[in-house]
Amino acid sequence: MKKYGLVLVPIALGLTLALVWQSGLTTNPILYLRADAGSLLLLLGIGASIVSVLGVALWILARYRDRKLLLVYQREQADAHRRFLRRLDHEIKNPLTAIRAGLANLNGRSNDPVLSSIRGQVGRLARLSADLRKLADLETQSVEQEPIDLGQLLNELVALEQERPEAAACHLALTLFQTPWPLPSIAGDRDLLFIALHNLVDNAIKFSHSDSTIEIRAFEDGRSVAVEVADMGIGIGEDELPHLGEELYRGSTARSVEGSGLGLALVRAIVARHNGTMTIRSRAGQGTVVTLRFPVTH
Amino acid sequence: MDDKKRSCRILLVDDEPAITVNLAPFLERAGFAVVIADDGETALCRVDECKPDLIVLDVLMPRLDGRAVLRRIRQADNWTPVILLTQIGSPTERALALEEGADDYLNKPFEPYELVARIRAVLRRSRAGAPSLAGARRLRSGLLELDRQARRATIAGQEIMLTAKAVSVLEYMLLHPDEVLSRERLLDAVWGWDYPAATRAVDTRIAELRRALKDDAETPKFIETIIGQGYRFIARVEVVA
Repeated sequence: MKKYGLVLVPIALGLTLALVWQSGLTTNPILYLRADAGSLLLLLGIGASIVSVLGVALWILARYRDRKLLLVYQREQADAHRRFLRRLDHEIKNPLTAIRAGLANLNGRSNDPVLSSIRGQVGRLARLSADLRKLADLETQSVEQEPIDLGQLLNELVALEQERPEAAACHLALTLFQTPWPLPSIAGDRDLLFIALHNLVDNAIKFSHSDSTIEIRAFEDGRSVAVEVADMGIGIGEDELPHLGEELYRGSTARSVEGSGLGLALVRAIVARHNGTMTIRSRAGQGTVVTLRFPVTH
Repeated sequence: MDDKKRSCRILLVDDEPAITVNLAPFLERAGFAVVIADDGETALCRVDECKPDLIVLDVLMPRLDGRAVLRRIRQADNWTPVILLTQIGSPTERALALEEGADDYLNKPFEPYELVARIRAVLRRSRAGAPSLAGARRLRSGLLELDRQARRATIAGQEIMLTAKAVSVLEYMLLHPDEVLSRERLLDAVWGWDYPAATRAVDTRIAELRRALKDDAETPKFIETIIGQGYRFIARVEVVA
C-alpha cells in the first residue's frame, strides 16, 4: 500500500508553497509569483489527489471482484471435473461387470495365457475405476475430527514401512522435533492421514535408489504442524512439478515405475479435507521433499 | 442341503443386457435357476409370478430404480432376500442400501465369484428359517444387543462405549454372521474405501470391539480371527422382536 501514498505528493507540495507565501517569510515578488502559482498548484494537487485516490480505490475493487470471479470459476471447474469423473466411472462400470462375468464363463480354459492376461487388464481397469470413485468420494464425504497425535502416528507408520521388503534397501529415519514440548495434536481422520503419509513414504521408497536415506520429520511453529518426507531419489524436473497431484499424471521419470498415477492426487485430496497444504520441492537427480502442513488445534 | 432336489431360483434384475447375458449362465453353472428381468416393473411382476428364493437387483435403472423396487417388495411384506448391485457406492448410499432392507450389496464391477459367495451366504441364513436380519432395528447375540437406529450396544443391559466406526463394524458383522469377512470388505463397507495400507484400521477397531465385549482372541465367543483371511462373527445372531 506504501506506493499509493505517492498520490498525496502534489497536495504536500502545494501546501508547503502556500504556507511559505502566507507566512510573509519572503517579499520577493518572484517568489510571490511562485507562491501564487503555489495556491494554484494546491488546487490542482487536491484535484489530482482525489482523482488518484478514487482511481486506486476503483482499481482495488475491480481486482477484488476479479479474484472472486476467478474463485467461483475455479470452483465451477472443479465441480465439472468431479461430475465428469463420476459419469466416466458410471459408464465404465457396466461394461466391466459384463466383461468379468463373460470371462468367468470361459473359466473352463483357465490356464489360457491370453485369458489370464485379459483378466489381469480388466482387474486393472476395475481398480482404476474404484480409485477414481474413492477420490471423488473423498471430496464430499464427511471427515472425522478427532484429535490426532502425529508423533505416535508417524512412529506406527515407520514401524509398518520397515517391515515391508521394498523398504529393506532404504534407510528410513524419523525425526520428531519435540523439545521443549511435544508436537501439538491436529484435528482430523486418523485413518485417512495414515493413508496420505503412507502414500508419501511409499513414493519415496519407490523412487529411491537402494541404500539411500529417506527422512521423515515433523515440526511445528505454533500455528501449524509440518510433516516432511524427503528422499534422495530420482527427483522430478521443475517444469513437471505443477502437474504433480493431478489425477493420472505421471512424471516422465516415473513412467518406468509401477503406479496408478492417483497416489499424490489422493494425498492432495486428504490434505485439503484437513485444511492443510502440500508443497513439493524437487531437483532432478537429487531428490524430493514433500511438506504437508496442518493447522494446530487449540 | 436340498440343492439337489430343487435348485434355488434367483431373479436377476439389470437393465444392461450385456450383464444379464453373461451373468445368467455363470449363475446357472453355479447351480442356480435364473430368471431375468430387465427393468423394475418387470421385476415386480416376476417376484409375484415365480417366487424367487433371492433377488439380485441393480440399483441404477431407468424408470423404476432398484431402490424403489426394493421398497415396494418390502411394503408388500415380502422378505425375499435381496442383494443390491450398487453403482455409486458412496458411504451414504451403502448405509441406505442396508437400511432399506437389502440383505447385502455389491459394488460394480464385482467379481462374479464374489456374487456367488454372497448369494450362498444370504441363502444359508434365510434357509435356516431365521427372519431377515437386514430389516431388523435391534439385533441380539447372547447377552450382546445392538440398537441399529440409536447406534448403541449393550451387554446384559449395560451400555458399552464404542466409537462410531466400531459400532458400524459390529453392525456389519452382526448382519453377516458366520461369514468370513476380509479386512478389505469391512473397509469397503464401513469406511467406504479399501486402500491396502488401511487394513490395520480394521484391526484397531476389532481390537476395540474385543476389549469392549471382553472377547478373548484366542478363545473367542464372538469374533474369530481367520488367519490370512479376516474375521468371522461366530455367535448366533437373532432379531429382537
